[in-house]
Amino acid sequence: MTTDHIIRLTDVNKTYPGAVPVHALRDVTLDIRRGELVSIMGASGSGKSTLLNILGILDNYDSGEYLLDNVLIKDLSENRAAELRNHMIGFVFQSFNLINYKNAIENVALPLFYQGVSRRRRNALALEQLDRMGLADRAHHLPGEMSGGQKQRVAIARSLITHPSIILADEPTGALDSKTSADVMQVFRQLNNEGMTIIIVTHDPKVGQQTDRIIRIADGEIVAEPK
Amino acid sequence: MSNPLFDIDNWREIGATLARNKTRTFLTAFGIFWGTAMLAMLWGGAGGLKGMLMRNFDGFATNMAVIFPGRTTMSYKGYNKGRSWDLTLDDVEKIRTHVTQIEHSTTNDGWWGTAAYGTKTFDASCSGVEASFVKINLPLMYEGRFISDVDVAKASKVIVLGKNVATTLFGTESALGKHVSFHGIYFTVIGVAGQQGEVSFNGRLDDSVVLPSSTLRNIANRGQNVGFLMFTVEKGHDPAELKDQIFRIIRSNHDIHPDDEQALNFFNVAEQFKMVDNLFLGVSLLAIFVGAGSLIAGIIGVGNIMWIIVKERTQEIGIRRALGAKPRDIIMQILSEGMVLTAVAGLAGISFATIALGVTDYMNIDPVHGSAGFALQLDHALVIMAVFLVLGTAAGLIPAIKAMRIKPIEAMNDK
Repeated sequence: MTTDHIIRLTDVNKTYPGAVPVHALRDVTLDIRRGELVSIMGASGSGKSTLLNILGILDNYDSGEYLLDNVLIKDLSENRAAELRNHMIGFVFQSFNLINYKNAIENVALPLFYQGVSRRRRNALALEQLDRMGLADRAHHLPGEMSGGQKQRVAIARSLITHPSIILADEPTGALDSKTSADVMQVFRQLNNEGMTIIIVTHDPKVGQQTDRIIRIADGEIVAEPK
Repeated sequence: MSNPLFDIDNWREIGATLARNKTRTFLTAFGIFWGTAMLAMLWGGAGGLKGMLMRNFDGFATNMAVIFPGRTTMSYKGYNKGRSWDLTLDDVEKIRTHVTQIEHSTTNDGWWGTAAYGTKTFDASCSGVEASFVKINLPLMYEGRFISDVDVAKASKVIVLGKNVATTLFGTESALGKHVSFHGIYFTVIGVAGQQGEVSFNGRLDDSVVLPSSTLRNIANRGQNVGFLMFTVEKGHDPAELKDQIFRIIRSNHDIHPDDEQALNFFNVAEQFKMVDNLFLGVSLLAIFVGAGSLIAGIIGVGNIMWIIVKERTQEIGIRRALGAKPRDIIMQILSEGMVLTAVAGLAGISFATIALGVTDYMNIDPVHGSAGFALQLDHALVIMAVFLVLGTAAGLIPAIKAMRIKPIEAMNDK
């Protein structure tokens, strides 16, 4: 495991404007090392989703600095943000967020479509990732024809297809039963063992316990909690 | 690198999106289909209707006018108003000499009588004309020839029979060279003719006989009088331009008050053609207006549906944005869906209109005049295609921009 930081947040602030402005993140400073498996935990409204959105370049922050794999993520154009999301971040969502009229292989290949990779090449790569998740035989099935666990593994395969710098998982086991949750966590653990940096946002202590480090957030501030 | 235009997944996706709600897609497409078909049929149909109306004028030169005498409406030089006067050969000669813009002209005298061959007869109207008649009102020649300059110069006893006259007198036999009696005088048949259009002077040519003008004047004792003068003008001129000059000549010849506009009748056929042209320009514009209205209604339907599709797919668009779709990818995706829908339905509309116009044209083919011209011209079809593609793109643009502005995080939370 390397020790260099893949994520460096320094004094990051985020406020949602409104009649009563909400200060979602307050001077958040956070380092995540390459190859870490960390969880971000916090109560509802603590700011963990805001933090995930900023880490995933899905939202901007007001002040501070965010370096992702030594790339400064600040005031990016929509195109540049899309490009970085596509190349550097793999997303796994609680509700899988698969496109329901596309089969497994098409869903997994979708990020490569936006890189302009040819259909033949991206389908071959997608099949490789599905095979890695043990789903090669489900390649041509639609999401509606798969179980929750299978859908989440398709989503993980999709997150891996561009060989991203990090995987951001938002409550990845939230919609799964305990056995399937364990299977999915096993997949994450295995990917982490292969060197992948994985950040899981969760409210489930059992999930948190399976990670290397829990980053606890409360009222928009990081509360370091060594395991 | 793969170009989305040639990526089958892209096209499958468009197809899948449109096929997901077949009824809605069909109804939207029908709006475009019908709008395009209406525009194309009205535009092409207006041309056909004009063609049918213009058949009535077939054979007539479009730059032609006719002058004939009337009654004075003003007293002048001791003459009371209400006096009738006759057009004379002297008038015609002066007009031909001084009005140099006249291209072709012929006097035309009307008569009536019974044409007979053996025991068979036909009560026919009769025209006495000069050789230039065919330059002004081209007849259909079924047999032989028309009146020539030599016939007029020699006041020959030759006759051209209208088609119905010839059929009545000779049946299926050729009339050429036969001798037909008219007003007790025998004439040699030199031709059998018919009328192209419906408009005629001195009766319908099919039911008439035609004599050289000089011959008719001699046997009908017309002296120097002329029934009316038909003429065409040189290219680049309008008969109306010559009216004042012609009136001046006639007024001075017949002591008609210089301000008496009613004493001389001037029938400008060119003006009638212009009126028909203007009428059908108006009809075409109305057709385009109504058709374009239908098409725009269809396009608005597409815009609406694209808006609904974007709304329904907010979450999917958010997922795509999260996975790396750039704003232009989303815009192109939504636009291409609208354009495919519009293009397919629009082309179907144009095809339908082309077939419908073809059938209408086929049903209105006239043995003499042929096609009336119910057809969508290629340039009109291209204009319609350009219009529906541009409008179809424009209709998808607002929903596409809305889609582009969807924030991934908000979209993925959209339930």
